[in-house]
Amino acid sequence: MKRRLLVAAGIAAAMTGVAACGSGGESNSGADGFKGQTLTLWAMDGSTPKQWEKDVRAAFEKKTGAKLKLEVQQWNGIQQKITTALSESDPPDVIEVGNTQTPAYAKTGGLAELGDLKKSIGADWTKSVNESAVYGGKQYAAPWYTVNRTVIYNKKIWAEAGIKKTPKTRADFFEALDTIEKKTDAEPIYLPGQNWYFFDGLLIGKDAGLVKKRGGKWVSNLADPDVGEAMKIYAKYASYSEAPQDKDEATPQQAEVFAKGKTGAFIGLGWEAGTAVEANPKIKKDIGYFTIPGESASKPEGVFLGGSNLAVAAGSEKQELAKEFLKIALSDKFEGALAEEGGVIPNKPSLQGKVEGNEAAEAAAPAVAGGGLTPLIPQWAAVENPPNPVKSYMTAVLKGKPHAEAAKSVEDDINKRLSQKQ
Amino acid sequence: MSVQTHEAPPPVRSTPRQPHPEDGPRGKPDPRGGGLPYLLLLPALAATAVLLGWPLVTNGLLSFQNLNMAQLIQHVTEWTGTDNYRDTLGSEDFWRVTLRSVLFTVVNVFLIMLCGTLTGLLLARLGSRMRLLLSVGLVLAWAMPVIAGTTVYQWLFAQRFGVVNWVLDAAGFHSMADYNWTGGQLSTFFVISLLIVWTSVPFVAVNLYAATTTIPRELYEAAALDGASARQSFMTVTLPFLKPFLLVTTFLEVIWIFKAFPHIFAINEGGPDRLTETLPVYAFVEGVGNQHYGMGAAISVLTILILLALMSYHLRLAMRQEEDEL
Amino acid sequence: MSRTVKGRLFTRLWPNATALLLFTGFVFPVYWMFSTALKPDSDIISEEPVWFPSSPTFEHFATVVRAENFWSLVRNSVTVTLLAVGLSLLIALFAAFALARMRFRGRRSVVLTFMVAQMAPWEVMVIAIYMTVRDADMLNSLVPLTLFYTVMVLPLTILTLRSYVAAVPKELEESAMVDGCGRTQAFRKVIFPLLAPGLMATSLFGFITAWNEFPMVLILNKDPHAQTLPLWLSRFQTAFGDDWGATMAAASLFALPILLLFLYLQRKAVGGLTAGAVKG
Repeated sequence: MKRRLLVAAGIAAAMTGVAACGSGGESNSGADGFKGQTLTLWAMDGSTPKQWEKDVRAAFEKKTGAKLKLEVQQWNGIQQKITTALSESDPPDVIEVGNTQTPAYAKTGGLAELGDLKKSIGADWTKSVNESAVYGGKQYAAPWYTVNRTVIYNKKIWAEAGIKKTPKTRADFFEALDTIEKKTDAEPIYLPGQNWYFFDGLLIGKDAGLVKKRGGKWVSNLADPDVGEAMKIYAKYASYSEAPQDKDEATPQQAEVFAKGKTGAFIGLGWEAGTAVEANPKIKKDIGYFTIPGESASKPEGVFLGGSNLAVAAGSEKQELAKEFLKIALSDKFEGALAEEGGVIPNKPSLQGKVEGNEAAEAAAPAVAGGGLTPLIPQWAAVENPPNPVKSYMTAVLKGKPHAEAAKSVEDDINKRLSQKQ
Repeated sequence: MSVQTHEAPPPVRSTPRQPHPEDGPRGKPDPRGGGLPYLLLLPALAATAVLLGWPLVTNGLLSFQNLNMAQLIQHVTEWTGTDNYRDTLGSEDFWRVTLRSVLFTVVNVFLIMLCGTLTGLLLARLGSRMRLLLSVGLVLAWAMPVIAGTTVYQWLFAQRFGVVNWVLDAAGFHSMADYNWTGGQLSTFFVISLLIVWTSVPFVAVNLYAATTTIPRELYEAAALDGASARQSFMTVTLPFLKPFLLVTTFLEVIWIFKAFPHIFAINEGGPDRLTETLPVYAFVEGVGNQHYGMGAAISVLTILILLALMSYHLRLAMRQEEDEL
Repeated sequence: MSRTVKGRLFTRLWPNATALLLFTGFVFPVYWMFSTALKPDSDIISEEPVWFPSSPTFEHFATVVRAENFWSLVRNSVTVTLLAVGLSLLIALFAAFALARMRFRGRRSVVLTFMVAQMAPWEVMVIAIYMTVRDADMLNSLVPLTLFYTVMVLPLTILTLRSYVAAVPKELEESAMVDGCGRTQAFRKVIFPLLAPGLMATSLFGFITAWNEFPMVLILNKDPHAQTLPLWLSRFQTAFGDDWGATMAAASLFALPILLLFLYLQRKAVGGLTAGAVKG
């Protein structure tokens, strides 16, 4: 395997290696041809709802006769873990890769090309969502799901403050937070200083870019006044929170803070409500959702369309089996079930209806049209490596540094990472 | 656990000074038993060469390569000459981190040696029951595994519900009620240093106490006969006797503190804003964190060289002692 | 008059008072770890700290033990630690004997080698180590871990044991040999028992190093079945966010074996410390 990869690397186009690896498995494809094999799937914490996992596993094992081994991964340090895993002779076969990180991995040649899979099952994948899975005109992953943040709030606290309706504009929202602050002893909203994907949404709402091209090279655009405007909105939200200014939403898990019942709201993903319920089952009946309101009632706040793709490791010896798995997991049946159970946005428009009845997803849906991503360039992944300079910028502004100064202090770091040798 | 202080006068000295026919330790290399020492050393040397030497060489080779995600995944070797070194040595960050590492080491080693020595001398003064009590306390802190230790310190210094903030608030420092210890450079270093001193002092104290017990009584009696005060007998008897021990312990502590990694990384990952990164953390963040592995290797090679330079004086000293021994 | 009495009382009291203060300072973090682990959540996040777990609960311990693969992690940690300590002691003993008792060409270079080896910053070499182990096709195995941990503690073990060996009176060894024991026998019957405290003392260092090691196992063993307890503990820190009860329960379980071992061996090794000690 190792030698094969080396040879592949030698022949400039790394992709040819994939075909070589795949050919071994082709002969035994077919109904029962995979018996005795085990497919390893790396999925991120929170991505695979229990029932969905159970059903997909059953369907997969029935159809192929192979076993499915799911290894749930933590976000912390995942990039290095995937990189090293892809370099090994026995990598995980199918890997969930964040959409913003997919171009970087596609460029390394560590992911198998999935052009034929796209042809057979991907004709109706949502185009904007599929973009992150394509690099250099080739398909390197299959879009799995997207998610965007909503406001998750504690109905009991809001009722206690006498608020009857969920806000439709940003100004309304701030007013509601004011009211909660005055009338209850709860923290109006929990927003740590480094919830950077929420900030990215605000940037998208302001139409402010994170990078720009200068002299044929990508450089930081953080000093742009529009970025400063977006950060002002963030700071206003954060002023209602007692959360640490130098931590992100995962340390501590904001859902667990919320679960204690002393927080009016937080900005998070649908599955985080599940985390809260797991920590404190009693909170379930109090949880509500609404779309993050924007400047005007007609247009919700911009959101970061976070999401995940499923990729196949180029070094996997089970290329065919991996594709079988993708065909099952991404089938209308299970993609729909994922949307239904997980409250995530499925990868094709025809399945959008599946989220109906899922409150979180219903609240998320209106914002999708105005959603966006981080820059889809392979260089971007390096910027998000900890310590993420954008997060440092956010903390600096929240601690009172003027926008321009804070931006200037991290721009060198961003530019260094953007121009880092690949 | 104890320290090797080959400079110290051994408590028991063997009398025969003339070369022994069997082993000839003090004479010329013994022609007959010539192979034996090498045979005995073989496992240790081989293990060190294969498991430490080889990674060191690999690391050195990597430092001359452009090794990022793609190269690592594809097993491609891309030589870049001295680029990584030029970039590192030319960056202001590296020198700032180097200076910070040296300061960090000096301050902490000083604190550890001072507190450790004082605690050790205190142990020697205590009655047996108190001594046992304090020893147990020291051993508990000493034995605490680093990762458990960092976790506990994070909890002690937690912003919300952390007991340190509560105590400070109760003591009248109300601004500390919700203090974020990992929010600033100095306060983060304070927590890290406290943790490091807490785990390191017991080693120095317990061993120093053990060392004091080997000081022959007669030396003190002689000093007392000469009319020496307590202070004088400390200066003329205790201190000279402990000097070699203190030297070796300082040597070990410098190494351990300079390359301290889990303490710093676990408390705040070198943050806030990379302001508490020391050289090993910097090498890790640039190399593994940033997936710039060749660069990380170059920084780690420089880290090793800096440590060697810091230690060269002591190494030379130790080597000279080596000649006198046996 | 009363002043001198007071003064004398003071000189008698202050060492004990200081010792008590120091004892509290050193023990408190350990105490707080165990007590937090035993407290119900409401006592952990109370506005005023609850100093004693008045209504102790084992629920946090139950949570952490239920974690996936817990027992296989325990088994791996114990295996790797015991093997690494045993192996390093064995190898070190040979080397220490040669360095302390024999004179041969290159002796100084060997000592220098181990002194320098002591400085190796292992954490920053993980990628080089990873690539070596990967290319040897030994990932997700306990063998490389055991071997690397052995070498991590080897230099200090050798240098320390060497002093212990040197402190054993030579006459003892010689008289044993005169009595008809061979060199090996003399070693086993005479020197080895005298070295026991030294062996115990050095093994502590090995235990704590191998038990704690984190960066290497993180990158070498991605298979959960080949991982060790430090990874499990670090997962509690990140995955459980601010569930301090569970985190402290995990830390307590992790620290307990080492704490007990230290307390046990320290009492035995004190003899060794006082006798062979400084030299040792």
